Amino acid sequence: MPDYYDMDDIIMEDQHIQVIFQVGANGVGLLDPGSENNSVEKGAKVELPFWLAHELQLRQAVSIYLPACFSQKTRNEIKADAACVNLKVHCPYFYELGCKIVPLVSDKTIGSFLYETFTSRYLEMLSKSHSASVLTAPKFLPRLSKEEMQLFEASRSSMMAFKKWRAGGSRLEKAPVLGRKRKTTIPTFPSSP
Amino acid sequence: MMSGLTYDDSFSDQNILRASGLGELQPCLGHNNSAELPQMSSVNPTSSARRLKPLSLASMAGQSDPQLSLLSAPEVEFLAEDEMVEIVPNIKMESLNMICGDFGPFFPQIACKVPLWLAAALKKRGKCTIRTPEWMSVDKLTQVLETERETPREFQPLPFHYIEISKLLFDHAHDDVQDTYMVRSLIEDIRDVRFHKVESGLENISGRTHAVKLKNLSAMEVNIVRPFMMRTLQAFYKHDNPQIIQQHNISGRKQPQVLTRSTRNLRPR
Repeated sequence: MPDYYDMDDIIMEDQHIQVIFQVGANGVGLLDPGSENNSVEKGAKVELPFWLAHELQLRQAVSIYLPACFSQKTRNEIKADAACVNLKVHCPYFYELGCKIVPLVSDKTIGSFLYETFTSRYLEMLSKSHSASVLTAPKFLPRLSKEEMQLFEASRSSMMAFKKWRAGGSRLEKAPVLGRKRKTTIPTFPSSP
Repeated sequence: MMSGLTYDDSFSDQNILRASGLGELQPCLGHNNSAELPQMSSVNPTSSARRLKPLSLASMAGQSDPQLSLLSAPEVEFLAEDEMVEIVPNIKMESLNMICGDFGPFFPQIACKVPLWLAAALKKRGKCTIRTPEWMSVDKLTQVLETERETPREFQPLPFHYIEISKLLFDHAHDDVQDTYMVRSLIEDIRDVRFHKVESGLENISGRTHAVKLKNLSAMEVNIVRPFMMRTLQAFYKHDNPQIIQQHNISGRKQPQVLTRSTRNLRPR
C-alpha cells in the first residue's frame, strides 16, 4: 500500500517515464542528453523519474507521455493472453505505476485495463502458488511484477511453513546467539618457583 | 454494493476471543494494512507462558512477521493446546492449581478433562492415557469425508483445531488412537478436499467482494490462506476503485459471482 516510507513505493517512483516539456527550463540541461547549452527548451522530450514528472505536471511544466508498458501494442499482447506476458521486462511495478498515472494522463481506459490484466493473471497465479512445488516456480516467477511477486511469496511461504510444521520436528529451536563454542581464555600464569 | 460476507467464527465464546488473537479477516476497506496487531514482546512458547490465561496468548500473535502472517504454524498449534481432552490417569495426584485454572485431583482409572498441553505432558511422563476425542473415530471421519466430497461449496463442521489436535495426538499418544493409519489418512484427505474448496472459492473474488466468509474453516487452514487472501483483497480493492475506473458507465460488466459458502445470508449493514 502506498506510503511515504514504503520502500517499494520509493523504488517505484524512480521509474523513468517520458515527458514533454511545456516550458523552457534553464540550468537543468542534465535532464536532456541532447541539449547543447545548460537548458531544456520547450517541446523537448525527456526522460524523468516519476516523482519529478509528477511534481512538474502539477506545476504544469511538463505533460506526461504514456509509458511504453501501457502502449497499444503491449495492451494487445496482454489482451491476447495475460498470463504469459512478462511484466517484469516491461515494468516491474506495472500496477502501481498504472494506478499513479491514471489521474495524470488523459487516457481513461488504463484503470479498467489494469484491473482486467490483474484479474486474469490472478487466476493463473492462484493455482500455481498454492501447490508450492519447486519445479514449476522458476518458469513462472520471472513474469510477475513486483506486487504479484509479493502475493505469490506470501502464499508460498505460509504453505511451506505449514508443511514444515506438519513434518514434525522439535519445537525448541536453538537460539542463533549460541553459535560456536568459545574457548574460555583463562590466563595461565607461569609457574614460578 | 453489499455483496460481501464476513469471516464468521461461529464457535464458543472462548474461540471467538481466541480468534481475535488469530487476526480475524478484517473487511478490507482501509488504506492501511489494518490486520496488523501491535507487536508484543516475543515469548518462547514452551516456557512458563503456558500457565497464562488463554486470552492473553492472543497478544503473542506478533511473534512472526506481521506483514505476512500474524501467526506461524507452531503458534497456532500452541493455541490449539488449550482444547480440553479426556484422559484416564493411572496415578493418584492432588489437584494442580494453576493460573489458568484448577485441574482436579487425579485418581487412577477415573476419567477427567484437562487441557491438551497438560495431557501431553502427563502422557510423556507415562502418567495417563489419552482418550481419543469422539470426532476422531474412523466412522465419523469417513462420514465427514463423504459429505465434504459431495458438497462443493460448504465446509463440514469440524473442531476448530482439528489439524493441530490430531497432530499432537499422533505425536504423543499414537497408541491411544485406534486404527492410527486409517485415521491419519482420513484426516489428510479431509484437509486436501477442504483446501481445494478454498482455492476454487478464491477464484471468484473480484473487486466487489468486501469480505470473504468461510464458515467452518479450521484454524490452521485460515492461517495458511490468510496472507494471500489479505493481499488479494487489498489488490482488488485498489484496482477496482471507482476513481481509477472512470468508465463504469460503459464497462457493462455483469455482476461477478460472489463468493458464498453455506447459506446465502448476506448480512445487511
